[in-house]
Amino acid sequence: MPKTILEVTDLKKHFKHRKGLFSSFSEQERTIPAVDGVSFYLKENETVGLVGESGCGKTTIGRTILRLENPTSGRILFDGNDITAMPADQLRPLRGQMQMIFQDLDAALNPKMRIRDILKEAITVHHQASDEEVDRRIVELLEQVNLKKSKLSNFPHELSGGEKRRVGVARVLSVGARFIVADEPTSALDVSIQAQVVNLLRDLQQRLGLSYLFISHDLRVVELISHKVAVMYLGKIVEMGLSERIAHAPRHPYTHILWSSLVEKQSKEASRCTTRPHSGVWGVFDFERPQGGCRFAPRCPVYESKGKPVVCVDSASEPRLRDIGNGHQVACHFPL
Amino acid sequence: MKNAPLLKIEDLRTYFYSKSKQAFIRSVDGVSLEIARGETLGVVGESGSGKSITALSVMGLVGGGPGVISGKIGFKTEKTRKNLLQDLDDHVKLAWDNGKIMGVDKDVVGWEKNAGRVMSGVRGKEIAMIFQNPKASLNPFTTVGSQITEAIQLHTDIKDPLQARERAIHWLSRVKIDTPRLRIDNYPYGLSGGMCQRAMIAMALACEPSLLIADEPTTGLDATIQSKITDLLAELKSELGVTTMLISHDISVISRLSDSVAVMYGGTVVEYGPARDILASTLESKHPYTSALLESIPTERHIKAKEHLRAIEGDVLDTVNIPAGCRFYARCNRVTDTIREKCERHEPDLREISPGHRARCWLYFD
Ligand SMILES: Nc1ncnc2c1ncn2[C@@H]1O[C@H](COP(=O)(O)OP(=O)(O)OP(=O)(O)O)[C@@H](O)[C@H]1O
Ligand SMILES: Nc1ncnc2c1ncn2[C@@H]1O[C@H](COP(=O)(O)OP(=O)(O)OP(=O)(O)O)[C@@H](O)[C@H]1O
Ligand code: SF4
Ligand code: SF4
Ligand SMILES: [Mg+2]
Ligand SMILES: [Mg+2]
Repeated sequence: MPKTILEVTDLKKHFKHRKGLFSSFSEQERTIPAVDGVSFYLKENETVGLVGESGCGKTTIGRTILRLENPTSGRILFDGNDITAMPADQLRPLRGQMQMIFQDLDAALNPKMRIRDILKEAITVHHQASDEEVDRRIVELLEQVNLKKSKLSNFPHELSGGEKRRVGVARVLSVGARFIVADEPTSALDVSIQAQVVNLLRDLQQRLGLSYLFISHDLRVVELISHKVAVMYLGKIVEMGLSERIAHAPRHPYTHILWSSLVEKQSKEASRCTTRPHSGVWGVFDFERPQGGCRFAPRCPVYESKGKPVVCVDSASEPRLRDIGNGHQVACHFPL
Repeated sequence: MKNAPLLKIEDLRTYFYSKSKQAFIRSVDGVSLEIARGETLGVVGESGSGKSITALSVMGLVGGGPGVISGKIGFKTEKTRKNLLQDLDDHVKLAWDNGKIMGVDKDVVGWEKNAGRVMSGVRGKEIAMIFQNPKASLNPFTTVGSQITEAIQLHTDIKDPLQARERAIHWLSRVKIDTPRLRIDNYPYGLSGGMCQRAMIAMALACEPSLLIADEPTTGLDATIQSKITDLLAELKSELGVTTMLISHDISVISRLSDSVAVMYGGTVVEYGPARDILASTLESKHPYTSALLESIPTERHIKAKEHLRAIEGDVLDTVNIPAGCRFYARCNRVTDTIREKCERHEPDLREISPGHRARCWLYFD
């Protein structure tokens, strides 16, 4: 039985919305519930895919789990240790075991350092290594991510988007972590290099038993690489289960819409249609006037077709994740 | 009849210099492209092949030396008509040897001053760009709202601050940012990756440019918002006739929006023509790099079977040590015995292989 490496229980991270100096907006401060009660676990050798709309809280989950942000509430167990409120000095030895490939291309690349030094620092920060060993490791990493050696003397701003992305991936791999939050690791790459990175992550997983929280907007890659997939909507997980089931037999209306937009996109590609696609229901959750109940209701076709049942918008009956068998969980009063 | 080109890039070269290698990095090495008014040119190609640098050269935003060293960039609207690289020759002397540039003597300061003059009134107003790295291209110390509002006041007829702010809110909602009235007062760090990206898009579009350069406009966005943004670009094209240069790794976005497509490899255009010819999965006559790229797109079967994905064999091209022959030779799987020698020794030029369709490959001509 593989060991559980990460367990997250009822995690919340709320941000205060700070206004610009000259905002004409009313004085009152608002909170943005970026992550609002999320629970899941991750085993060794396992990949959990995390998908959902832009701004739904995926990056925030990743950052909070790695304690790059302090959680508002909830509990995070890493390898049996409660790290929710662990002080920095105790956390340090664990840092080498959990790493993040940042979505922001420049986030982990010190602009004043050459690529060689960035990689060298990553290799040696948690482990001792001789100079030859470091050089050998760097060459190996470059090969793995298909980056030219001539780029080692470049500064980050002298790299293309995809080259930065590959340095970011190499940097994280060089630390030797056991658990990696990969936040959009294939964005900015052409399909061929994307394929190499995906293959590399899977090979390393098989060889070293790594665990990934794999955040991506590329649903095809998510389905391919993940064992389980969690679908988020505005700070909450609305559906979670085996990746095949999420992709091909989704039960939550949002998951269904998400995956069908992929199919639609592919078919449009085939027909080269330039007309407008179905406009569908398109409302957004309004943080100014958060309605009670299910957060997806303003956009939900089921809610619409069922004649706007009260249970969906009643704040006393917000749908909770519940098991529907086969390890599949869904948070909806009227699952598909 | 094709519309007259709005943008016409001729033989653009943008180089950098590597001190440690004592050699040029030939990021853009003789690129010629044109975009007809109202049309969309899709640009695809390997990571590092020079797509962004081509775009930044058009914007006059390549910093450092030597940077742009030769070429012409014609830009023609009803109001303006100029060569954006006007007087470049006065500031650059090239030393040629055997058809190769061996040395560059450029008066960088003088050129930058000149370029600043040429680009003023064009950059941001006539030509707007959506940058590949949105977080880095927004100012972290001002709210997104004031950045967009300022751009609107600077580049459009709307000068009144309140009106400009309303306009900014309008564009934020068009790019599907939730609660735009609240978000407009966010600093970039308070926005998710995809929100920053959309804020950038809003800023570029709000200035109502005649030419939009969009560098990876949809990468950080989920499938539903991606399709909304693609729709928005399609709408702008059909309603306002915005001309677009669209750089993307997402072939489906490219194929949906583009009229013509250019495929780049190692600083050059290797194939160029009508979108349907270049992206069709069946057409025989295609550049071998293009075919290999299209074959790397994961298929339904790969995903279901959780197979290894297909990648193009071999290493990416090193733009420092460019080989003598075809730049794709080391990785090409279509070299035949009859052309092998040419492939290895002589670089093919970009030639028409069927009406409007050009390729840079010895398979199609002698
Ligand atoms: N430092 C911060 N201060 C205030 N609000 C923040 C901060 N970081 C994130 N947020 C807010 O939290 C929400 C979730 O952001 P997050 O970056 O986690 O989204 P995401 O799911 O990763 O989106 P994307 O796919 O666009 O990257 C957003 O509404 C964002 O505006
Ligand atoms: N300032 C610089 N100094 C040295 N080399 C540079 C500099 N800027 C870019 N390059 C190099 O020029 C080449 C082309 O870069 P460019 O950003 O145009 O690639 P791209 O086609 O946009 O790739 P991607 O799809 O990865 O964004 C890259 O190999 C890059 O390393
Ligand atoms: S609970 Fe109601 S509104 Fe929410 S997703 Fe289910 S059907 Fe739609
Ligand atoms: S010229 Fe030769 S090496 Fe180059 S792409 Fe064509 S067949 Fe391949
Ligand atoms: Mg994110
Ligand atoms: Mg680029």
